[in-house]
Amino acid sequence: MYKLGVDVGGTFTDFILISETGETSIHKTLSTPEDPSIGVLNGIHDLAKIIDLTTDGLIGRIDTIVHGTTVATNALLTSRGARTALVTTRGFRDGLEMRRGIREEQYNNHYRNVVPLIPRHLRLTVDERIDSRGDVVTPVDESELLAVAEHLAKEQVEAVVVCYMNAFKNNVHEAKTAQFLRQRLPSCFITASSEVLPSIRFYERVSTAAVNAYIGPVVADYLGSLTRKLDEIEFAGTLLIMQSNGGVVTPEVVRRSPAATVLSGPAAAPTAGAFYARLFDYKNCITIDMGGTSFDASLVIDGECVTSTDGSINRYRIALPALDIATIGAGGGSVGWIDHGGLLHMGPESAGADPGPICYDKGGTRPTCTDASLVLGYLNPDFFAGGRIKLNVERTKQLISEQIAERLDLSLLEAAAGMYRIINSNMAQGVREVSIERGYDPREFLIIVAGGAGPIHAAEICSELEIPMFVVPDVSSIFCAAGMLLGDLKHDYIHSYLVSFSHIDKSHFLELYEAMQETGTETLIKEGVDRDRIDFYPVLDLRYVGQYHEVQLPVSWQDVQVYDLKRIHRAFHCEHNRLFGYSLEEEGTEIELINVRLRVIGRTEKPRFLGGEQGPVSLDSALKERRPVYIPEEGAMKDVPVYDGDVRLGGHTIAGPAVIEKVNTSILVSDSYSCTIDTYGSCIVYKKNAFPDGYRRGHSHQSVEKITDG
Amino acid sequence: MSEIDKILLSIFQRAFKSITDEMSISLTKTTRSPILCEAKDFVTGLYDAHGQMLEQTENLPILSFSLGPVCKKIIECFGYDIHPGDVIMHNDVFSMGNQNNDVAVFKPIFTDGTLIGWAAAKGHQADIGGSVQGGYNPDATEVWQEALRIPAVKVYDRGVLRKDVWNLIFANIRLQIVAEDIKAQIGACTLGERRLQALVQKYGIDCFEAHKCELFNSTERMMKKEIRSIPNGVYQGEGRAYYDGKHLGTEFSIRVRITVEDESITFDFSESSPQTKGFVNGTYTSTCSAITLTFLQMVNPDIPHNEGMIKPLKYIVPEGTILNASYPAATTFGNHLCPQTADSIFKALATAIPDRVTAGWNHLLCSLFTGVHPRTHRKYVDICFLGMKGGSGALQGDDGYDHIGMIDASGGVLDQDYEMYEQQTPHRILKHEFLMDSAGAGKWRGGLGVVTAIRLGADDTQMVVFGDGDKEPPFGLFGGKSSVCNKISLEYPDGTESVPLSKDIVPDIPAGTIYHQIAGGGGGFGNPKERDIDKVVTDVQNEVCSLQKARDDYGVVFKPDTLDVDQQKTSASRRSE
Repeated sequence: MYKLGVDVGGTFTDFILISETGETSIHKTLSTPEDPSIGVLNGIHDLAKIIDLTTDGLIGRIDTIVHGTTVATNALLTSRGARTALVTTRGFRDGLEMRRGIREEQYNNHYRNVVPLIPRHLRLTVDERIDSRGDVVTPVDESELLAVAEHLAKEQVEAVVVCYMNAFKNNVHEAKTAQFLRQRLPSCFITASSEVLPSIRFYERVSTAAVNAYIGPVVADYLGSLTRKLDEIEFAGTLLIMQSNGGVVTPEVVRRSPAATVLSGPAAAPTAGAFYARLFDYKNCITIDMGGTSFDASLVIDGECVTSTDGSINRYRIALPALDIATIGAGGGSVGWIDHGGLLHMGPESAGADPGPICYDKGGTRPTCTDASLVLGYLNPDFFAGGRIKLNVERTKQLISEQIAERLDLSLLEAAAGMYRIINSNMAQGVREVSIERGYDPREFLIIVAGGAGPIHAAEICSELEIPMFVVPDVSSIFCAAGMLLGDLKHDYIHSYLVSFSHIDKSHFLELYEAMQETGTETLIKEGVDRDRIDFYPVLDLRYVGQYHEVQLPVSWQDVQVYDLKRIHRAFHCEHNRLFGYSLEEEGTEIELINVRLRVIGRTEKPRFLGGEQGPVSLDSALKERRPVYIPEEGAMKDVPVYDGDVRLGGHTIAGPAVIEKVNTSILVSDSYSCTIDTYGSCIVYKKNAFPDGYRRGHSHQSVEKITDG
Repeated sequence: MSEIDKILLSIFQRAFKSITDEMSISLTKTTRSPILCEAKDFVTGLYDAHGQMLEQTENLPILSFSLGPVCKKIIECFGYDIHPGDVIMHNDVFSMGNQNNDVAVFKPIFTDGTLIGWAAAKGHQADIGGSVQGGYNPDATEVWQEALRIPAVKVYDRGVLRKDVWNLIFANIRLQIVAEDIKAQIGACTLGERRLQALVQKYGIDCFEAHKCELFNSTERMMKKEIRSIPNGVYQGEGRAYYDGKHLGTEFSIRVRITVEDESITFDFSESSPQTKGFVNGTYTSTCSAITLTFLQMVNPDIPHNEGMIKPLKYIVPEGTILNASYPAATTFGNHLCPQTADSIFKALATAIPDRVTAGWNHLLCSLFTGVHPRTHRKYVDICFLGMKGGSGALQGDDGYDHIGMIDASGGVLDQDYEMYEQQTPHRILKHEFLMDSAGAGKWRGGLGVVTAIRLGADDTQMVVFGDGDKEPPFGLFGGKSSVCNKISLEYPDGTESVPLSKDIVPDIPAGTIYHQIAGGGGGFGNPKERDIDKVVTDVQNEVCSLQKARDDYGVVFKPDTLDVDQQKTSASRRSE
């Protein structure tokens, strides 16, 4: 049987197929943004051919498909979500847009607020009110709801958020309104805030619910289309979707809570990064993933992906647990443009897959990063995507000349090199964001390069940050797809329970946990997980009485089950001291509980990756050609050898300058770098002067540091 | 001298910033007073061994530029009597403090026995003693009627709490939470201490010192380049403040003369009004902060915040003026002279750098509620931040920012979360929305103001009002219009209404009273008739601009009963001026 990982990106859809014995096949197709499931099916057909099976034959042998999708993210980034309305408590029409009155850049008067997902004229208010104790002050009136429903029907909205004040305490009005609207507006996607995030804080809840509704119809359409197509080819296995928290779930769960999938694709990269870092004896790594539209950077510290509930996408706040990933608008499709002052910029606008870069010859007219890479010789016009896409060199040169070079009075080469340098510096800034700006020195991290376009740029990004070494895994071009097969099934649950710690009602507390445990277990069993592969990770949100913010304290499932509050009490004081520099244990200050959380994990079977043997192929026989390639250190084109990266080269070392060409990616080994290929097919690319004797596995970062210091 | 490594330079700069950010996050999460943890009325910073600023996280900039000067005072005061584990507390406005309520905590940082720097956190405390709970006493004429004065005082000596000193201080402050919030500030400084120690130990003291100096130099060069971009000359402007809290009808002038000469800029406020008899008086550092934060809005926002940034700025603020009152004047209102100080600077520089100044921002008019929560029997103090945040002034190329609040904070101080507010106070929010027609019209309009209504839920509520902007609306620039004035009023359960003065105390407000507040928008920039018609239509559709204002100010006329623009009438009306 096979497992299939599928990652739909803005430009490409990536596939990895792994057999029980660890044999892998990887593949890439162009994404089909109008209906991404078409691309998924195209890829499955292609894969069948690659391994000499019929589609039927292949699909019958797949027991699990794990799928990541940027459908939700792209809808948010490009403002192409559903036409969404908000129904909220009278007097609170603008809480969503105000964002509590913050301007992130205090000294920048040109800094704009975000455009709200729901414009003011679609934010309606209802005369209802529940007070801070959860008691009804003003009941919700059906005739008013009727008027609301009629107005929304007239406005032809596709999604509605219901978010009322204090619904975390008592959701009766929200539930009633949501039910009413579901009946009256059957084709609308309705989200009640208490369904998505039943916890205190109006702004966090309304914002998270707004994201959920805004992307809900888009995600539901997509999943509907995908499952229909998989049914047509009689897929009988399990389909799982990657979530922002690095775990996977079934499509039914995603339909209810699409906001938990906004990082569906990118979340797989750190998951895979943690796996690869271990292979190279690193505990810490930075995964960089350059796709067609965006560039993601994320940290793995001590082998763990960093999670937080403080996340947002494009400043849209989503208070659900998610992996901590910095995203900037830099990808192969990033468009080059010139501003009024005559400065060249790259992105964040992307030509995407359609029309795509000029060189794809699909109607694209604006020069992109990929176009520049072609002019600079990094891409082989006859071997792009293994030769399946012929690149139009002449047209690309012509349009870059007209639109960039002539306007800036540069040669074609200078223009293309400028585009390349600028996008590299943008991406280096993205790496700075996750490392230096959080107080970490990137030079101590292993850089793992993912994404088809990444390995052309990695050397320059690393040079700018003085990082001596990066690794391009064999599966780099489909890294997230691989990461998907490494994720567990994860479900996060939360309930607000505001009570002082000494007044916790034991039976209520245990009931809440039992309920979450039961829901989680049931869901996992439905998803096909055996009971003995289910683990529980409870977290309590605690604070000292009077504080407004909570510490998320992980506690053991055992302590919850035996109700050992004393241990939890002590652990809170310690954690508070570790995080904030003091505790009030001696003062005997009362602690209060805000939320109880439970993460329920169903451990999946992880695939094995096969290690190859020493390269049976000699370097000379892998030499495809010599061609002129732009060498950044020299600022000029130079004839360099191009090697076939799809044959087994394990054990060989290639000194730069050279290009290693694979079906789905090209690796630039620049002048000052060397590359050693390991037995798994991963390329370890390092500064020649940092490893004068060449790279050997077992170099820890201390030795790297020592070498760079010298 | 250690060699300069350019990448390391940027690593140090970002690391300092991430440390002060982390201190700030810690304070947000651990403090109890909503003024601190919800509104973030505090600042955190790192300083070198000489008190020079390494970096700050300036949630409320008006507090920010006093920490360096106080740090220098502390070093002067204690000399060699500074040890690991010491904690020094300070609020005194006559030794570089900016406001009595803004209490700072400093912790020296050592590695291997050498003093390498200081971590500091300063926050607006819920109470600071004096005659009125919460600290704002419009009747005050001397500092002792306002607050307990805390000159630089060691509360921890070599890691040991000085219980007697601690008890003396907190015996004079009404609320227990203040002691706990000061503990939280000390905790934040401890985090800063741990992180800076780790950083310096990793790279070595010499390396740290060399890169610090180079960082100051490079920042100073950046700042000088910005100043050079302003044409040389002398520029003058004025802002006006109303009512000193004692004498109805009083008015005061804040006048600036700005001299730009190549790489230096001098802000001279000598011609401002003399100090007032009430508490409407600035302190030297509150005024310097006001000047700095206003000027920073007109330069490249990416300049790092360290000693090099402030070096090229010269301040002349003579003692005895309204912006720098002599001992022992009352000064609690001083922070809130920032809007008027900013007005004077923007007006002065409008001719020199018209593409960088903004029209007038909404001035602060604020209220502070105190009382006992009937459910928990706990005393609370809450500044009604959510109600007081109006719009910012427009500028060339962009509308003002909606609901940003006073320029002293520039969007760094947040609204309380509605649901948390209702948990922590006995009050219930009835309304908090953008106010229609509150933005000053212009080719670029001012930011929107807000309207707030809160039902007060306990019988003993006391309200202190402080602020301005109820007499003169924020100004427009280059043809842009002014916006609307601030207003606070109380609607009592018996139906009567009362409007307090802009500095006032209203005790014993009965439960069921409804508090109403309007925070006005910002001033407009440029001729409103040149505004994009689409933008006017959007504002009308969103019900933040009325049909009448669209017609009168913007010359945009709609066909009756629709949101379709009447092109003919619109062009005629737009041509008419």
